[in-house]
Parts: sequence; structure tokens; C-alpha cells
Amino acid sequence: MNWFIDTISTSIGKKLLMAVTGLGFCMFLLIHMIGNLTLYGGKDLFMAYVEHLHALSPLILAAEIGLVFFACVHVATGLILFLENRRARPVGYAVKKNAGGRTFGSATMPYTGFIILCFLILHLINFRFIEQTPDAIFQAVSGTLSDVSFKIIYIAAVFVVALHVRHGFWSLFQTLGANHLKYMPMIQAIGIAFALLALAGFGLIPIVIGFIA
Amino acid sequence: MSAKRINLTLKVWRQSAGEIIGSLKTYSASDISTDMSFLEMLDVVNENLIKNGEDPIAFDHDCREGICGMCGSVVNGRAHGHESNTTLCQLHMRHFSDGDTIVIEPWRAKPFKVIKDLVVDRSALDELIQAGGFISVNAGGAPDANAIPIARETAEAAFNAAACIGCGACIAACPNASAMLFVGAKVSHLSLLPQGKPEAKKRARQMVRKMKELGFGNCSNEAECEAECPKGISIREIARLNREFIKAEFS
Amino acid sequence: MTLDAKIPGGPLAQKWDRHRFELKLVNPANKKKFDIIVVGTGLAGASAAATLAELGYNVKNFCIQDSPRRAHSIAAQGGINAAKNYSNDGDSVWRLFYDTVKGGDFRAREANVYRLAQLSCNIIDHCVAQGIPFARDYGGLLDNRSFGGAQVSRTFYARGQTGQQLLLGAYSSLMRQAASGRVKIFPRRELMDLVVINGQARGIVVRNLINGQLESHDAHAVVLATGGYGNVFCLSTNAMSSNASAIFRAYQKGACLANPCFTQIHPTCIPVHGTYQSKLTLMSESLRNDGRVWVPKQPGDKRSADSIPEEQRDYYLEKKYPSFGNLVPRDVASRNAKEQCDLGKGVGETGLAVYLDFTDAIKRDGRDVVSSKYGNLFDMYEKITGDNPYETPMMIYPAVHYTMGGLWVDYNLMSTIDGLFVLGEANFSDHGANRLGASALMQGLADGYFIIPYTIGGYLAGTRFPAVDAGHEEFKNCEASVHQKTARLLKIKGKRTASDFHRELGLIMWDYCGMSRNETGLSKALGMIRKLKQEYWENVNIPGTGDEFNQSLERAGRVADFFEFGELMIVDALHRKESCGCHFNTAYQTEENEAKRDDENFAYVAAWEYAGSGSDPILHKEPLIFENVKLSQRSYK
Repeated sequence: MNWFIDTISTSIGKKLLMAVTGLGFCMFLLIHMIGNLTLYGGKDLFMAYVEHLHALSPLILAAEIGLVFFACVHVATGLILFLENRRARPVGYAVKKNAGGRTFGSATMPYTGFIILCFLILHLINFRFIEQTPDAIFQAVSGTLSDVSFKIIYIAAVFVVALHVRHGFWSLFQTLGANHLKYMPMIQAIGIAFALLALAGFGLIPIVIGFIA
Repeated sequence: MSAKRINLTLKVWRQSAGEIIGSLKTYSASDISTDMSFLEMLDVVNENLIKNGEDPIAFDHDCREGICGMCGSVVNGRAHGHESNTTLCQLHMRHFSDGDTIVIEPWRAKPFKVIKDLVVDRSALDELIQAGGFISVNAGGAPDANAIPIARETAEAAFNAAACIGCGACIAACPNASAMLFVGAKVSHLSLLPQGKPEAKKRARQMVRKMKELGFGNCSNEAECEAECPKGISIREIARLNREFIKAEFS
Repeated sequence: MTLDAKIPGGPLAQKWDRHRFELKLVNPANKKKFDIIVVGTGLAGASAAATLAELGYNVKNFCIQDSPRRAHSIAAQGGINAAKNYSNDGDSVWRLFYDTVKGGDFRAREANVYRLAQLSCNIIDHCVAQGIPFARDYGGLLDNRSFGGAQVSRTFYARGQTGQQLLLGAYSSLMRQAASGRVKIFPRRELMDLVVINGQARGIVVRNLINGQLESHDAHAVVLATGGYGNVFCLSTNAMSSNASAIFRAYQKGACLANPCFTQIHPTCIPVHGTYQSKLTLMSESLRNDGRVWVPKQPGDKRSADSIPEEQRDYYLEKKYPSFGNLVPRDVASRNAKEQCDLGKGVGETGLAVYLDFTDAIKRDGRDVVSSKYGNLFDMYEKITGDNPYETPMMIYPAVHYTMGGLWVDYNLMSTIDGLFVLGEANFSDHGANRLGASALMQGLADGYFIIPYTIGGYLAGTRFPAVDAGHEEFKNCEASVHQKTARLLKIKGKRTASDFHRELGLIMWDYCGMSRNETGLSKALGMIRKLKQEYWENVNIPGTGDEFNQSLERAGRVADFFEFGELMIVDALHRKESCGCHFNTAYQTEENEAKRDDENFAYVAAWEYAGSGSDPILHKEPLIFENVKLSQRSYK
């Protein structure tokens, strides 16, 4: 295992950890969103989904452990990269302008990442560390999201997630070495579409929750 | 195009030696012909400084035709100035307007220590090449040049990467002072060619480790390097470096 | 002093083989006991340093820039010749040899040139093995083009950046040896003096440009690969730091300087635009394949190009040389451009330019075809001048480009100082009075990869070396004299900058010792230079001190040497009472205005020996004997 530690301690090694875990989160985000779409079908559909999910509990547990592990790796590695990158330029520029490569999303990755982490904790407190019956969960969702401040927090958080995904998605392909003249435009388009989809799919829930409940 | 005369205000990083703290100082550059290159403008400013008994601004430069890679400063926040695919020596004053204020700073990165004013130590780039940016062949032992055919597209792709002039603009422009484009270009150039394949794994492994050792930052895929590279080298070379690294480490 | 070129006997084609056999070898186990200093990291220096290290010697490699990769070989555009005959068009080692000797107007050594042609093939093999991405055809084999008027396609190229790619190849080999520890690289060092002990070159004194400190380095042999002296003219296509100081120091220590008046002027450069221009940029000669050169018929015509009607334009090359037209050789094209400008027919703001017009080519072939051939050159031109050559004719003017003269070396590339070897543009050896296109890269690499590794071994194996290190008294003496000179320069604190003097010197050289010369002008220039030199030592203003990073001081030292070097060039030009190649004395020309050689009296290498400050240099002649080629007269009518 020595070689593995050696590999992941390198610059690209750390980036690979970010990419692989990031890809995991993208997949999770997609599945989570598909699940949540049941909310738009009304309370019964959502409850059926929750029940169905709970029927798979050993699998869910495994997935949860995996996600926690991924989160730890992603956050820890991200933090190390962030600190290393700051150290790589001890004296900054008096004037620095972007040349055209940098986007708002890419420039704010460490910060959006941190916001997402905070949101994630709140989100888990709201919906995971509560009584895990379908009814209780639905009550928690509709209850929490009918609060105006939670509405704002959740919409803002989804926006931040979308921003993070906007750079993270194509970036993970680049890190994995998948940048080809023919396919990269498609990957970038998918990244943007995915970010917008997540924005819409999650972001509308706090708005429409009142009607569903 | 006929030349105009313009007057400028310069804010230049002055630092008399590496260990001394520097600061931006203001100078005026008057009656500058728009036909001059940026470095010729600095020449004029320096001539006047010398005549007035002041210390001229130190800056690196040599070929002044955009190929040696010796020149380079961050001009108004942009590496080699705001024109794309241009080195500082090829940036001409016609791209500035009368009355402009121009801020000129040295490349900033931990491995690039300031020697004086705008002059920085880039020997880290040589060290990166020493870590594996070569093909181990001694003079005299080569087979006939045409012994191994290389597809034209492959040779062209290798050339695109090999066009790097080692100026360091990619590192200066990178938000993280990462040397991934520089290393990516060399690894791509050599790994694309059949002659470079035998050492491809070793090269990728060693050069990537050397980057960290020298104190360069990590790539965050922001493509600022690509946008500032005077030779238009693409971040696809970084992706290829990543592939080569993955191949080398996980096989 | 007698000049012994040490040319091996036997038939031309076997001389090199025979010589390699006759050279003594250094026992492999003993190689690590020898230290070799290589100054310069261009094609010649980097290839020599890398190859010597591969053989097992300890090499110390010095360069003036911040990295070995910056050397000015990097700017060579066109290509590198090799007698591979891949094109199957009748090329051979013999033809490359003949073309080079003829191109040099019969002022180069047959044996050296033949060896160069032989080695050209090995160079290409080695460069491909190093991973140089040469242009290839669709079958994956190497592509060749015809270059510089050659009738065969023997030029290998990597887009318009052949020099860059070749240099980076040599640099990568050098870095490999640096990593192995057999080469130690000393960047940002300038050679200040050569240390000669008991008649042997045993070391150098360099200035560390970062802190101004002098450093002494000892060795068993010193290799100079410091390039040409084109910057005597101030404006040239050379890099800003290219200088003559290293070879001039060697000259002052007893190495003869050969043919210093042979300087090549390239016809297609971007013209000078103002007093503060620092450098001239070359545009590939290939432009003349489709561009038409013209000036207004009426002197002083200041109208824009498009408002000068066809009948008022003078296509002077086409008129004068009907069969070659715009494709006459470099020196002829250059001289004619200057002649037109001297008649007041020059164009542009300074009147020192002629038009190179692509209107007809665009009309005939279409813009796309022209763009596919010259697109990158047009872009480069537009970047520098701000003019679009598709719409307004390009303006071009000749510029100093390469210097054929240099330190005299024998067949082993050793100068008249034992143990001082000179490679590349810094020596005089292979190009005679005129260098052909794509031959400079070939020579630099042949010297470094394939000649010096053998010949230096012969010297080291056959020489006794008294124990000497950098603590030796002579090193101290050299350091002291360098200190003294620096102090003297810094003390002047006059009114003019070194650059200012350099511009004035360059102008004198350009006007009187440029592409055409005559006795009156040369004599006048000699007086002007001496006067200016005197003013320099009284009125130059160098800021700062000698103990710091001081670019003004660096420049001032080089300019001081350019004065001396310029004088020597003029002395050489004055003595050579003939025209040959790039040395065009207006008094000696054919009816076709061609250079008229005097083979009876001047078929020799003029090697000048330093006779002390203020004394006239001593001329030594190495006769050139042509046993294999017939001397002929060029004609381009």
C-alpha cells in the first residue's frame, strides 16, 4: 500500500482523489435528485419512495458509509490543496486580472466547497438525524422548507452546489485525463446542463413544497 | 501604420535585491512611439533614469523576437500583457492609449525568487527538465532518422507541445502558481513520440514529484495558463500528463 | 607564429576517418580525471557539454542567460541541411560539400567543409532520436525542402522554429547530464577573462551576474561556444546579450581572430522604425518566392504604396537580374536594397526600406494560397508593425544576421592557444566568406556532437598538465585586471549611456563596413571609431556598482569590446583588397556588379594576432588550397 500513499501524496494524486470522489458526489447528486423528484408527484409518491429506499437499508448503509468516507477524503484533500496552493505564491500581485480561463465557479471552488460542507451538516441535522419513518421525513421536509429562512438557505445552497458542479464536473474529466478536442465541448455542455438540472430539480422544491403539502 | 506618440504612467515593482523588501514605484514614460515594443519603452525609461542618476529598472530579455523565453512580467495583471499569444517583447505600445497607467510586476511564485526588480530566478524550470524531460540517448548511437516512421499528425501534436519557450507565464498566471502546463507540455511532447515512450513512465512520475518538491502549487483546471501561454499551448497537454501519470502509477 | 591547420593527409573523403584513428584516446577510466569548461549553451556549446559528459569527462558549462535554453540558436527559423538524399534528387555528401565551399566564395577549408557534409547525416539521426519533432510527410517519413537557392531538397525543418527545436534537443541532453552530476551548469555568468598558464588554456574568470562577484574556474581545457559578433552593428538579428567579449578576451590572450570582416547581411528583415529600436527581426527568405520587390521610380516619393501607379514603380531586381529576379542570393538582394535607399528611393518613415509586394501573388493564386504559405510570417509582421501585408505591401530592409569570421581554429577546432577550443559561430571554420541558408545549425551541432568529443580527447591524451587550480597566481592576476577594468568603467560617470555609444558605433559600422565597403569609407570609419572609443572611456555613464546585479555594467563592458572588435573588422576589411562573398569592396566588382575575387593574392585565411593595446595587429596567412573543387565566378544575370 506504500506505493498508493506515495501516489496520492503527489500533486496529481491529490487531484485524482478530488476527481474520483467528486465523480461519486455527482452520481449521488443525480440519484438524490431523481429520488427527490418524487416530491413533485405529491406526498404519496414521495412516501412510497422513502419506504422503497428503506427496504434497501443494508445497501443504503453501505452507500452512506461510502459517502461519508468520500466526503472526508474530498474535504481533507481539498483543504490540503487549498493550503498548498496558497503557499505556492507567498507574495501576491498588486493587480491581477483573469485571462479568460477562470470562471466565477472555478475561482470559488474552495469557498463553495466549504459552504456546501456547512449546508450538508445542516441538511443532515434537518432530515437525516430525525425519526426515519416516511411520514416523519415528509413532515420534516414540508415543515422545514415552509420556513422562509430555511427556504432561502436551501435555495442559496442549491445555487452554490450548482456553481461547484459547473466547474467540478468538466474539471474531474480533465484531471482523469479525459480531455479530447472532439469530446470536451460535450463534457462541458453536460456539466453545465447537469448544474442547471440540479439547480432546477432541487431549487424548486422549497418553492413548490407549500403546494405539495 | 503610422506611429503616434503617447505618454504613460508606470507603476513598477522595485526591489534592489532578493532579500530586500520591494514596492511599486511610479515613473512617467513620456513621448513613447506606438511603434515601440514594450521592452523598448522600458529601454527609453531606463535611459532617462540613468541620465537622471537613478537606478534603471532591471528586467530580463534577450532575443526580443518571442522565442527565447527570457522576458516576461505581469502587466496590468496579465502575464506578458493583455494581447494573446504574445511575449512581452512582442507586445507593442500601439495596444496602449495616451494617459494609461501600467502596473508592471515580476512573475510571482514560491520557486521564482526575485533577483532584482522584475528579474526572477527560474532555475526551477531547469530542475524540472532535469527530473526527466529528456530522452536518454548518447550522441553516436542513433539509428537512421527514417528508421521509425511517425505519423504526421503525431509529429504535429508533439510539436504543438514542444513549442513551449519556458518563459514561466503559465506559472505566473496560474492562480495556484502551478507548473502543470510546463510539465504537461514536455511530458506530452516526449510521450507522443516513439523515441520517448521507453522512458514515459519514469518521466511522468519523476517530473510530477519534482514539481511538489520545488514548491509549485496544484492545478485547479482553471485554464489561465492556456489563456496566457504565448505559444498557445493547450491544457489538453495537462490532461495528457494526467493520463501518463495514471498509466505510470497504476500499472 | 605559424598557423598549422593540421589537416590530415589522404584523399578528402577519408581524411576524417583517418584522423579519428590517428587521434590518441583517453582511457575511459581516466576521463573523469579531466575537467573541461564549456562557455556557451547554444547548439554548439550545449551539444559539446552534453556529449563530453556522456563520454565521462567532468564538464562545467557557463551561460550568460538565466537558463541554457535561452541561447540565441533558439531563434533560427529555416532549417538544417543534411546530405541524406531522402528526396532522391541527386544530393550527396560531395554535393553538400561543393555547394558549401562555392557558397562561401572559396574562402573556406576544403577538409573542414567536407567533414561537415559527412557529419550532417549523423546529426539528423541523433536529433530524431532525441525527440525533435521534425516536419514529416503523410507516410510518416521526414520531409525536406529546398532552401536558400539550393537545387536539391536537403533541408530538414520543424515549422519555422527549427533552431528552437534543435536547441531544446541539445538542452535536454545537457539537462540529463546535469541531473547525472557530470555537468555542472553555471547560469547568469559572463566570461571576463581566459586564464592561460604555460601556454595552455587552464581556466576562466567569470562574473556572477546576480551579485557581481568574480569566480575563477580551472580546467584542463576550455571550449568557447559563445556565438557571433553581429552586435558590433548594434542593430542586428542577434539577441541583446550576444557579444564579442569572450572571443575578444581569447584574442587578447593569444588566439588569432580570422576573417573578422566576413559578416552576413540578411535581405528580408523588418525595417528599423526609430532611434530606440533595440533589435531587428528576420522574416524568412522564402517570402521572396512570391513577393515582388519594388521602390518608387522617383526619389523622395512619399506617397503611400497604393497611390503610386504601376508605371512609376521600379521593380529593380527583376529589371537588373532578369533570370533570377527577386530570388537573387542574399548578398545581392541586400546590396541592391541599400543602393536604392541611398538613391533616396527608400520607403517608409525612415526611407530605409523597400516594398515586398504580394498583390500580384494574391491576384494570381488567391489569398488562401498565399496565406497557407506565408500566413504565420504575415501574422508576425502584423504583430510587429501593425500593418496587414495582405492589404499594404510589406516593407523590408537588410540586417546583420551572421558572422562567418571568428577565432581561428585548426582541423581539431583548437585555436592558436593550446587547449582552447572554439565551436559554432564563434569560430571561423566552415562558411568561408558567406554562409548558406540552413548551414549554421548543421555546423554548430557537428562541432559539438561529433567533432570536439574526438579532438579534445586527442589533446588531453597527448598533453602533459602541470598541476594547476583556481588558487594559482595567474587566476589572481586575471581577477585583478578584471576588477581594474570594471572600476575604471564605473569611475567615468560621464554624460552618455553605453547604449547611446553602441548605437553610434553600430551606425558607423553599418554605413562603412556593412554590405558594401570601400577604402575611403573604411579609413574614415576607423578614425571615427577611434575617436568615439576615446570619448567612451571619458564620457560613459554607468550607474550602480560592480557588486550587484547591474545590467548597465554588463552592457558597458560588451560595448567597450565592440569598439575594439569593430576596429579589427575594419582593419581586416581594409587589407582584403578583393571582394568575396559578403565582403563587397566596391572597387572590386565584375561588370555584373558581382563580387570579384582575387584568388591569386587573397585565397587565404587572414588570422590576426593581438599585439597589445594601441599596436596594429599582426597578420598571419593560412593559404587555402583547393585540390577538389574548381574556383569559379558567380553569376546571376
